[in-house]
Amino acid sequence: MWETVAQAVINGLLIGGIYALVSIGVTLIFGVVKIVNFAQGEFVMIGMYISFFLANQFGIDPLLSLFVSMPVLFGAGVLIQHFLIRRVLGPNDMPQIFLTFALSLLLLNLALMLFTANYRTVHTSYSDEALHVGGLYIPVAKLIAFVVAMALSGALWVFLHTTDLGKAMRAAAQNRDVAMLMGINPNRVFCVALGIALALAGAAGSLLMPFYSAYPFVGQVFVLMAFVAVVLGTLGNVIGALIASLMMGVAESLGIQYVGADSGLIVVFAMLLLTLAFKPTGLGGGRAR
Amino acid sequence: MITLGIRTRSLVLLAIGIAVLIALPLVVKSSFAIDILIRILLFAFIGTAWNLMGGYAKQLSLGHAAYFGLGAYTSTILQIDFGISPWIGMVAGGVVAMLASLPIGWLCFRLRGPYFTIATIATAQALMLTFLKFRDFAWGAEGTTIPNLGSAPLMMQFETKAAYYYVGLGLLAAALAITYLIERSWMGYYLVAIGEDEDAAEAIGVNAPRMKRDIYMISSFLTALAGTFYTQYIYFIDPATAFSFSISIEAALVSIVGGIGTLWGPVIGTVLLETTSTLLQSWLGSSIGGVQLTVYSLILMAVILWRPTGLMGMISEAWQRYISRKPARA
Repeated sequence: MWETVAQAVINGLLIGGIYALVSIGVTLIFGVVKIVNFAQGEFVMIGMYISFFLANQFGIDPLLSLFVSMPVLFGAGVLIQHFLIRRVLGPNDMPQIFLTFALSLLLLNLALMLFTANYRTVHTSYSDEALHVGGLYIPVAKLIAFVVAMALSGALWVFLHTTDLGKAMRAAAQNRDVAMLMGINPNRVFCVALGIALALAGAAGSLLMPFYSAYPFVGQVFVLMAFVAVVLGTLGNVIGALIASLMMGVAESLGIQYVGADSGLIVVFAMLLLTLAFKPTGLGGGRAR
Repeated sequence: MITLGIRTRSLVLLAIGIAVLIALPLVVKSSFAIDILIRILLFAFIGTAWNLMGGYAKQLSLGHAAYFGLGAYTSTILQIDFGISPWIGMVAGGVVAMLASLPIGWLCFRLRGPYFTIATIATAQALMLTFLKFRDFAWGAEGTTIPNLGSAPLMMQFETKAAYYYVGLGLLAAALAITYLIERSWMGYYLVAIGEDEDAAEAIGVNAPRMKRDIYMISSFLTALAGTFYTQYIYFIDPATAFSFSISIEAALVSIVGGIGTLWGPVIGTVLLETTSTLLQSWLGSSIGGVQLTVYSLILMAVILWRPTGLMGMISEAWQRYISRKPARA
């Protein structure tokens, strides 16, 4: 009994680390640029396909392809901010929502056209390895993914709190107008925010590849989870998103254990609806907007 | 020379348009073409229903499939289990959708902007999962076919496609008339005020929560009618079609491409998008998945980046230029 619960919690925490990378990206973009990136999940999908093709064509380990997927998606983020999102920033919600939504539709359906709906997997030497600790079962690939995800989140926190650019980003998140008066170039800060957020999504994709299949719709699972975690963790709050993601992972895993194998999504929706009903400002407080 | 006022002229145009639309099935005999026309009417209708809330009040829902599905399931369950005519089931479905919009709206309207949109997506998906799970009362994932009764107009089953065309045309006309009336009422002005700036609207005494609730009920009611109509037309229902996310997407898409918050926007948007989609399918065949939505998303991005007012905006600009070029009459 005790071991089943502990096992479910561990499984949840491990996958929660991946959710955290996606959620932190969403919340970073929301905090700094004040838009919701509906396409965040599709960048996880792109990260997965990058790792898949590198592994398939050149035999590169998915974990090493992190060094390709992250810079590529960072560049993509800068370009998307500079050429697309910059043009719709303003008081009007409609263009912002539907621009990133259109981007999501576009990437998803392009992937469907180019790669078909087939599931792609990469088998690594550690894909089936697992550690056994006191009767608990810890898959190595998931453990590596979790550790790298936490390291990346930590690195982001250090970046935001110690570097000038990081501080400029936090300043722009707190008050864009005052930040501009202090000489912060908003577009540059926004470009970096988009770049970092997409790089994190790409990292999530590469880290997933040893134990998860890539297919065009894969991002939808993660983005939904991220949206819930971001609301739960208070919009724009990086630490909140991290903690909420881990909670979501655990909740989903317990749901699968005790409600049924295909109930993961139902648990997610239930959590979202409960959050909206009782704590729309998120667990950390703050305004619902 | 007789000069007609703008109002008379547009009435004449409208009369001609209606006459053409009524005569169309008499001229167009190909069942493929009628099929496309019915799709256009259906999505223009759903888009018009979406536009009432999404266009005027700018409550950008991506969860209208919830009401489409509820309408479809209500009338189908009533028909198969109780033998009640879909004409009655259609209205019942509308009422069910209207009632469902109250708790859903209560949840979703707590959030604004993009998070309202996400919440609506989640509610529609949650409803789909519910209908997938509970196979006892709604056939689960396999869905069911509607018993074919041949020619039974009282059960909303017709032998010719033209009859479905007229039902669709009637629905669209009703939705446009409702939009026209709301647009010119106090409610319409309140909705536009909420869409422009909700806090400012509330500050001058608009009861925003009530207005949003009411328009959501009207919009849901209409969307549910489309669900019944579509199910009767294809003789089949399952959760994946009835609650399909692509219905939510297309409802919003046709309105935005055509001109968000305008009477004719959703109609023009649907004509453009459905024609494009048909041409694409005849060129490429339907073998490659994703082509249609790839093109739709490119059109949507182009509209947002260059013409946020949509096709209606382009048309009215061209009209303004045309008018100002004319020499003034003495």
